Amino acid sequence: MPSLLYNDMQFSVEPSGDRWDISYKLPSGASALAAAGLFPGLSEADAAVRTLALVKTIFPVGIKSVGPDVTHPNRIGDLKIVGPDVTHPNFIYWDKDSVSSPKTL
Amino acid sequence: MEIKGSVALVTGGGNGIGEAVVKHLAKAGAKVAVVDMVQKNIDRVVKDIKAMGGEAVGIQANVTSEADTARYIKGTIEAFGQLNIAVSCAGIIRDGTMLSLDKETGKVSKKLGLDKWQAVIDTNLTGTFLTMRDAAEAMVNGGWQGLLVPISSVNKVGQVGQINYSSAKVADALMPKIIVGEFLMRGIRNIRCVAIAPGYTATPMLTGMNQDALKAILEDVHLGRLVAPEEIASLISYCVENEALNATTIEITGGLCYPKGIAK
Repeated sequence: MPSLLYNDMQFSVEPSGDRWDISYKLPSGASALAAAGLFPGLSEADAAVRTLALVKTIFPVGIKSVGPDVTHPNRIGDLKIVGPDVTHPNFIYWDKDSVSSPKTL
Repeated sequence: MEIKGSVALVTGGGNGIGEAVVKHLAKAGAKVAVVDMVQKNIDRVVKDIKAMGGEAVGIQANVTSEADTARYIKGTIEAFGQLNIAVSCAGIIRDGTMLSLDKETGKVSKKLGLDKWQAVIDTNLTGTFLTMRDAAEAMVNGGWQGLLVPISSVNKVGQVGQINYSSAKVADALMPKIIVGEFLMRGIRNIRCVAIAPGYTATPMLTGMNQDALKAILEDVHLGRLVAPEEIASLISYCVENEALNATTIEITGGLCYPKGIAK
């Protein structure tokens, strides 16, 4: 029974008569059926190749976003923090313009 | 066209009419792609089709997304090698009158929100358009026999409280005339288009509604009950097999009438 890891998802290809079923693990650890009765007559190796092509098509690659928190209210009391305007001519980059910036980190 | 050996894609295939359609076609020997927003519904339907000895692939997607549409068309062909039948069952309702008045002042107290309008148009009209367009593209380029089935509704005649839904469904009902006319114009002879306009159907969408309102609706149905999703699935199967059915919209309502007995 070939199994493959794609986009952090564990898929397995299981025989069902002369066909193949594709199942995958849910985040809960339970197993779900992605497809049933595919690729009639194919060998295990060929079915695995076709499975990889199929799961790459139907399961879009996810992106794990680790920040910033766009739902953060950006408020301190009544003040709304709008962030620095880096396009302003007086904006100073600490690491480029300040003498207090260490030359090596 | 024979159902056995053909490949069908059904949006909204995870419940209601869509679920009945995929199961009916799978039972008749079609290979089916179950497209739905809800993964657990997809998993359940694919499992049921496996238990029936059928062939199925489940694809989670949003029909309003052009990228998702391309993905489920491509995924279906990747799994089964062709595409012959595309049924757009995915649909939502967000009911409300365009204006609501304050009972005391008689002034407008509420307007139907753009969010309610847009969501219904996006799913029921744009979603259907994208599925029909991309399925037709695949059928033309693949040279396969094909049938496109937009799902309209008997409320295409104009239902109060459903300006969004009725507007989308009347547009869906027009699609077969336009699509087949364009196919003729372009020399595309391998694809037909037949829309289905169901009446009040026993789906989760309806069984969740106010039961008194539902009872009142049934008084106007000659059949005396809701249409079963399986009856709609059976009609779609017939449309697949009967090639003379083309460029039309077929109503299946059980004999829904206006209150004074005029057929709707």
